[in-house]
Amino acid sequence: MTDALVRTQRLWWKIGGATIVENIDISVSRGELVGVIGPNGAGKTTLLRLLAGLLVPSEGAVFLDGRNLAVMDARSRARKLAFMSQETAQNFPFTVMEILLMGRYPHLGRFERETAEDHEKARRTLSYVGLSGLENRGFGELSGGERQLVLFAKALVQDTETLVLDEPSSNLDIRHQDRIFSMAQELAGEKRAVLTSVHNLGVAAQYCSRLLLLETGRVAADGRPEEVLRSEILDRVYAVHTLVSPSMATGSLTVTVLPSRAGVTGARVHLIGGAGSAVNITRELHRLGYVLSGGIAHEHDSDERLWRNLGIACTRVGAFSRIDNEEVLKAARMVESADITVLCSFPIGPGNQRNLNLAARARRLIVLAPGPGDVPRTFFSDEGRAIFENLCGNSNVMTYEELISELSRMKPAGKESSGPAS
Amino acid sequence: MKKRKAFTILVLSLLLVAALVVAVGIGAVRVAPLSFTRYLLHQLGFRSVALPDQQDITIIVFLRLPRVLAAMLVGASLAVCGVVMQGLFRNPMASPEILGISAGGSLGAVTAITSGFASVSLFGLPLLTVVGALLSSTLVYFLSTSRGTTSLLFIIIAGMAISSLLNGLTSALLLISREYQVSQFLFWTMGGLDGRTWQHIFFAAPVLIPGIIVLGLFSRELNLFTLGEESASSLGMRVERTKRLLLALSAVITGMAISVAGPIGFVGLLVPHFFRFLIGADHRTLIPASALGGALFLTVCDLVGRSIAPPLEVRVGIITAILGSPYLLSLIVRIQRRSVRGIQ
Repeated sequence: MTDALVRTQRLWWKIGGATIVENIDISVSRGELVGVIGPNGAGKTTLLRLLAGLLVPSEGAVFLDGRNLAVMDARSRARKLAFMSQETAQNFPFTVMEILLMGRYPHLGRFERETAEDHEKARRTLSYVGLSGLENRGFGELSGGERQLVLFAKALVQDTETLVLDEPSSNLDIRHQDRIFSMAQELAGEKRAVLTSVHNLGVAAQYCSRLLLLETGRVAADGRPEEVLRSEILDRVYAVHTLVSPSMATGSLTVTVLPSRAGVTGARVHLIGGAGSAVNITRELHRLGYVLSGGIAHEHDSDERLWRNLGIACTRVGAFSRIDNEEVLKAARMVESADITVLCSFPIGPGNQRNLNLAARARRLIVLAPGPGDVPRTFFSDEGRAIFENLCGNSNVMTYEELISELSRMKPAGKESSGPAS
Repeated sequence: MKKRKAFTILVLSLLLVAALVVAVGIGAVRVAPLSFTRYLLHQLGFRSVALPDQQDITIIVFLRLPRVLAAMLVGASLAVCGVVMQGLFRNPMASPEILGISAGGSLGAVTAITSGFASVSLFGLPLLTVVGALLSSTLVYFLSTSRGTTSLLFIIIAGMAISSLLNGLTSALLLISREYQVSQFLFWTMGGLDGRTWQHIFFAAPVLIPGIIVLGLFSRELNLFTLGEESASSLGMRVERTKRLLLALSAVITGMAISVAGPIGFVGLLVPHFFRFLIGADHRTLIPASALGGALFLTVCDLVGRSIAPPLEVRVGIITAILGSPYLLSLIVRIQRRSVRGIQ
């Protein structure tokens, strides 16, 4: 373990009753480029701050090159470890060079000034990150990406064996992103240790020699990218469906999030709508993974349009035309094969009254009670009202919220981990 | 840039010497234009230069010189404290007034006067002024700090609230005190330099001059502060300790300056900005430039105030406010135009 530059021992960090970092034991050696990955709020930034000595652990300890950070003075820590923060704001007109030279602070005594050598070092580092010629430009005039590169250069000017980078590429386009991670790789190649948080898993796989996956403050996986980036781990931690495949061009792994509905064969629901009354419920059930069908709808109605765009099977008639028994028979197969049929709230007149006949064929019919914002279920014929009242007798009447909560509970199989309801 | 910085410092020094000679030469009573130069040269050992007549010497040495020196000391102190506040809080709008330090100092001074403590001891007034400034800045600091981080927005709001409260108390104290005079009231709410004597200088200079020098020694730390406290700390600076030290030192210096000249506004805001614009933000040149510039600015403002309509005097605080407010407004417009994130 003599090669370990950074080591943690049962590291905890708690604030106000919440545990942000929980019992982390890791060790990072010279030559490693470690990508810290994980969902938002998993504790990536907090862990990096603990490692950089910017936060004091609630329990446990961080060792830098064998020495406990807690007993190291800030100055000697800063000569061994540089930290690049996400913060790039600067309210005062410093030049790029002045910002870079601030990286020499831990190496200078109070009455010392930066030497010509320090200036030269800063200039070379600036050209290394690809910004030579910007020495005397105002830092505040640079683009967000250039500022990040300058702050990265400042961390290099600090000349430390360990570098901790917090989201170094969050503002960068792909060219600058490639540049910053390639440089991080080169720095690791110089037998330094580099730790960086990364959001983009493909980038993490491409450049890092090792990945540390965090899940609610704990290490969920730690190892080479191909060991960590596995669907069965990622799906659980990120709560999505992922496809991990090697990139055709580089051979490194790419992680693709699959549409959350893919491959779901669940319960079937038929929606009888019109006048836009089925829009919300269509979206909600579509996301929950139900196999939907709809109709009978009039063309260009907003329900019909949504079904068409989502590729939902539906029976339709021309705009403003009357629904006849013929269409009812056609649509009946959908209704009869559906586990549940939902009758939305829309005005009923002679033109669409056959939809009620259709509803009567349902295996299980749920009648939606109109909510405050819905189209009211008005009747333009006594016949329609009579059929409707008859329907209500042998079916459940539910509000929209009741329906959604019931259908969320009996979600189709294979969907446990997705959706906001989980 | 380097040349420009050196040039600026040189020009400022020369202008300051010129301002000294002019400000001592001009006043309600006419003095021969070269009296002061002659007096100075004679005292410096050029015995062949004839001394001016005794009345001129009295006016120069006992009336004008202490007043001009007080203006210079106070101007330099307020400007440098402004630089430090702005750097510490990464906020171009911070200043001793906005942070409640000035109001605390004034209240301390007025308390010393009304309680009679000022007449018991010569140290009474400066002491209570400094204590007032320290207490109010501590209060603002702790009100706006939670979990180890200090929010800029809360500093400004807390500073404003505390300032109004303390200013109200100052006015109330002055109204109920028996020594109440309009001039007193004006002095402790607007500041002024009339009637400053060598005694004020002898008290203040041993605090102000070393204080400014020590603040100047923390230039690099102030540079680091502007990166954000996290970055500053990662560069090996003990952020919280340095912040408290600089804040306390600024409060002491501002308090001492107020005990000499009352709460003169806008110097701490206007001067640093002007020089940041001219020579950049590096505190290693910004602090000396602001010290010289602040001294020059206040000397000139005082000179203008007492020569607009002699023998009537317009208080120096009024002059700085008249010059400062439009500048502050133009600053806000400029910041908005560049959409620099100022107050956050």
